[in-house]
Amino acid sequence: MAKAITQIRKEIPNQKEEQTEAIEKVLQELGKNSEAIIQTIQILKELHDTKILETVHAILKQRTEIGAIAIHQVNQPTMRNIIKNGMNTIEFLGTLKPGQLNTILDGVGHGLERLSETGEKGEKQSLWKLRKRLWSPEIRAAMTTMVDFMDGLGEVFLRNRKESH
Amino acid sequence: MEDLTFLVEFDGKDLEAKKGQTILEAAREKDIFIPSICHHPNLGPIQTCDTCYVNVNGDLVRSCATRLEPGMKIDTSSTLVKDAQNEAMDRILKNHELYCTVCDNNNGNCTIHNTVELMGVEHQKYPFTAKPYPPDNSHPFYRYEPDQCILCGRCVEACQDLQVNETLTIDWNREVPRVIWDHDVPIDQSSCVSCGHCVSVCPCNALMEKSMLGNAGYLTGIPPKILGPMIELTKEVEPGYQEIFAISEVEASMRRARTKRTKTVCTYCGVGCTFEVWTKDREILKIQTHTEAPVNGISTCVKGKWGWDFVNSEMRLTKPLIRKGTEFIEATWEEALGLIADKLRLIKRKYGPNSIGYIASSKCSNEENFLFQKFARAVMGTNNVDNCSRYCQSPATAGLLRTVGIGGDSGTIEDIMNSDLIIIVGANPAESHPVLATRIKRAHKLFGQKLLVADLRENELAQRADLHIHPKPSTDLIWISAVTKYILDQGWEAKEFLQNRVNGFEKYKASLEKFTLEYAEEMTGLTKDELIKIAQMIHDAKTACILWAMGVTQHKGATDTSTAIANLLLMTGNFGRSGTGAYPLRGHNNVQGACDFGTMPTWMPGYEPVQDHEVREKYENAWGVKLPEEPGLDNHHMVEGMDKGKLKALYLFGEDMSLVDANSNHVDAAFEKLEFFVVQDMFFSKTAQFADVVLPAAPSLEKDGTFTNTERRIQRFYKVFEPLGDSKSDWEIFQELANRLGANWNYQHPSEIMAEAASLANMFAGVSYDRLEEWNSQLWPVLKDGTSTPLLYKERFGLPDGKARLFPVDWTPPFEAGEEFNLHLNNGRLLEHFHEGNMTYRSEGLTHKVPHPWLEVSLELAKERGVQDGSLVELTSPYGEVKVRVIVTDRVKGNELYLTMNTSEDIEAVNRLTSSYHDIITHTPAYKETGVKMEVLELEGESPLPKHNHRFGNRIPQLSVKVEEKWKRSDFTPIPEILNVRGDDYGEGYHTN
Repeated sequence: MAKAITQIRKEIPNQKEEQTEAIEKVLQELGKNSEAIIQTIQILKELHDTKILETVHAILKQRTEIGAIAIHQVNQPTMRNIIKNGMNTIEFLGTLKPGQLNTILDGVGHGLERLSETGEKGEKQSLWKLRKRLWSPEIRAAMTTMVDFMDGLGEVFLRNRKESH
Repeated sequence: MEDLTFLVEFDGKDLEAKKGQTILEAAREKDIFIPSICHHPNLGPIQTCDTCYVNVNGDLVRSCATRLEPGMKIDTSSTLVKDAQNEAMDRILKNHELYCTVCDNNNGNCTIHNTVELMGVEHQKYPFTAKPYPPDNSHPFYRYEPDQCILCGRCVEACQDLQVNETLTIDWNREVPRVIWDHDVPIDQSSCVSCGHCVSVCPCNALMEKSMLGNAGYLTGIPPKILGPMIELTKEVEPGYQEIFAISEVEASMRRARTKRTKTVCTYCGVGCTFEVWTKDREILKIQTHTEAPVNGISTCVKGKWGWDFVNSEMRLTKPLIRKGTEFIEATWEEALGLIADKLRLIKRKYGPNSIGYIASSKCSNEENFLFQKFARAVMGTNNVDNCSRYCQSPATAGLLRTVGIGGDSGTIEDIMNSDLIIIVGANPAESHPVLATRIKRAHKLFGQKLLVADLRENELAQRADLHIHPKPSTDLIWISAVTKYILDQGWEAKEFLQNRVNGFEKYKASLEKFTLEYAEEMTGLTKDELIKIAQMIHDAKTACILWAMGVTQHKGATDTSTAIANLLLMTGNFGRSGTGAYPLRGHNNVQGACDFGTMPTWMPGYEPVQDHEVREKYENAWGVKLPEEPGLDNHHMVEGMDKGKLKALYLFGEDMSLVDANSNHVDAAFEKLEFFVVQDMFFSKTAQFADVVLPAAPSLEKDGTFTNTERRIQRFYKVFEPLGDSKSDWEIFQELANRLGANWNYQHPSEIMAEAASLANMFAGVSYDRLEEWNSQLWPVLKDGTSTPLLYKERFGLPDGKARLFPVDWTPPFEAGEEFNLHLNNGRLLEHFHEGNMTYRSEGLTHKVPHPWLEVSLELAKERGVQDGSLVELTSPYGEVKVRVIVTDRVKGNELYLTMNTSEDIEAVNRLTSSYHDIITHTPAYKETGVKMEVLELEGESPLPKHNHRFGNRIPQLSVKVEEKWKRSDFTPIPEILNVRGDDYGEGYHTN
């Protein structure tokens, strides 16, 4: 003769049991990883002592406000340019062939060496001597390269001017 | 034979194409990339996005809407074509801000993202322009963000022509077009039935599940204050979209590590929709549909798409409960199962095995039902096992077994879609089988299918029908037989079919004598003209299907009416061909499967009779036990047995019998007489209140298994979550209990249970979990080699000689409660809630849409009794009374009332009023034969149905998205015109749908 009933007695100690169980699990993990934990605590202590934790906590708490300020700052024309230029530079580097760049950089390095030697010695050369040097294969190779470079530069300048009209 | 394939040239290469294919379809099949945004495989061409332009013989044409012709030369990759496609995409991106990495739709399946990426777009020509409309957040489940909407019209197409709810349109005539609901009302106040089609097909994040917003991605929870400038910054410094996409793809793949996607089968009705559940830990992010889903494709209803909150409800049972005095006390499984085993053993010893009854669940899996009947039969030694099909579908099954030999739907949803004529008798598919109803509505709206509805209520399909008839209650057998007789009298019967494939013609013909048009007119209230029109419609249709449900099966003459339906189909040759057949619409997700797998008192699994010696021997050899020989008690018998003190104990799982069985007061009194009662459920149900032990069970999302839908289609579902708390899968509980009673079972996974069932029941010979992986399904009978049978009776019927049998039947007058109870009370399910709502009321959104049950009262009766929306009335029958609030509506007529069943409160529950009278053959309660009287308690009160329910909305029916109106806009320039080539822009709208 079972009448309909709706009363359910939940085992309240269960909550406590669950908590004890959870704490036990945590303790077990602590025991297994004691060295790492102790080191972490030391780091935390340093962070606390230097007020870094406090600062981070405040930042986290105010993350939306701070985030808004930060993004506002980043979203300024100068920053945009920096990001854009950064990305363009990376893109530019990507287009260079490593072999070519190597030669150019080698040449520049070597040239710089000479330049510093001249600087140190401080000797001036007569125009006649300079003119004579123009005939050397080294100078001619460098001059041809520079003129080709300017040629390419001018080509892009003209193309861009055309596109923007 | 007509040649169905021919050669065409794609970018200079000859390829084979199929007749009727569009350029886009063929290209997709052959992995040739043509962009497309508005095209969706389940929707067809919409022609709004223009990204799919290709060049055919010098003309730019939309590849989604151009059918291939032999010898066609198609260019998909020239500069001209690319220019056209890029122009189209630029127009789209003007309407859609690309912030993919911080977008909740960045899950690898965003159509816009993927198309832009595949097209290699680097920059957009026209800057993004916001629309002058705020987002619509009014609906509880989804939101519309006009700023992200590209006006592709997929949502409109899905709403108008696939779901056919006809709520969404695009208003092309305003300055800035947008999608609108009804006549531009907030979504929540529209006729939207919350089916989710629009959200599922949206190619971007314009329409999104609210459960996803700010929740799906790692960066999508960023507050708007930061998000806005971030998007601006990204756009300002963007190197090009491809680099941005690289980042968003990294984010999308990170999501995949966190978001779990699991295929499941819906549990809210017998249609058997399948979809993925996306979860993050125990949180459900969304239900994601798939075109591969065999029954529903991308379709869902409001419950399937949104109704899963119950899984994490705080009200879930998580520990076994044992009755002690006047309260239940939480117990361990050890204690609970120990107690059950002891009690059952004791009662069996004392009163015999037949003193215990076992009630199975049509909501649980095939494997669980198989195991439960094995437990009852092999361990406990009784055939006293039944399931809730006894409350609904047993008469349909019995009617079919008598005539065509197999108790299931004759074909599939495809056959229903392909039919010339759909006849629905006593069923409300738009609410009870919503996705199946969408297929009928679509076929009716677009493909000229005829629809005939016989129902007391003017439900949605009745409103849409070519003919809606309203016979007097409980007289379906008469008009069906009279129509059959008229067809015979006209010589319209399928003579050859009858001669070759059907027995019993002469005897049946003689039995029709009394069913003249005059007799039918007098008894059913239908006119002769109506009856002749029905006959004419059936005669004119090359193929016809009859669909029926509780309006037929919950009567005293239910089996006979189901038989009359089968007889009519046999007389007109409507079996064994696509588009024909008998379709009892199974109500619960696994009504079919529970019966198929043997939780029935007279049948072993696969409808093999308990009384057949050879059948028993097969199982006895496999199980190593002696099985009981005599059929057991059905649900009705069990209640009578409890009442008379013969049935001492009951074990019930997944069924709230106290609410769903008829004449609840009587049933409750019977429960009180039990010596021992076990209830296994997810929730502390009304029935559980009577139990001695309550066991916490896990729902489908927390276990593996299979369900069988109304089409006889077996589909797998996979475990999404671990069971909540200490709850367990039903099959695991049965196994543990059986082992305590000495069974020694050792099933590790449901697949092993299915393998055992397949090895024993002939019908499932080739069923296996391997063959059911992911979206695969099998339709029984399944041959050993795995071959399914989608359409039954192509060559033979399911009776011994392979022929069908015309089975003479006569009309059974309904139960009349007496003169004072002169109002007829009808009842039924609702779109928004599953039965009494113990699952669906756990969803805030569903409760917002439908918070209470209500009583529908006709305009005439309301006037006579002076009631209005919100009036509180008391209904009284000889068996009990309820108090409910009224909605006055023309859906019901005269003295006919309709009470919805979405309540767990005794004082509102319809079964406090129903009787214990039942179908004379199967004992299914005659729920639909209830007489009541009505007393007005309060004239004024709050309406039980809020104004933000779809029933108060105003639909805007139209075909597709009306793209022609877009083309007529002054700001629209056809893309070929811009590129100075010929094109198809001024052509007609191309509705293949």
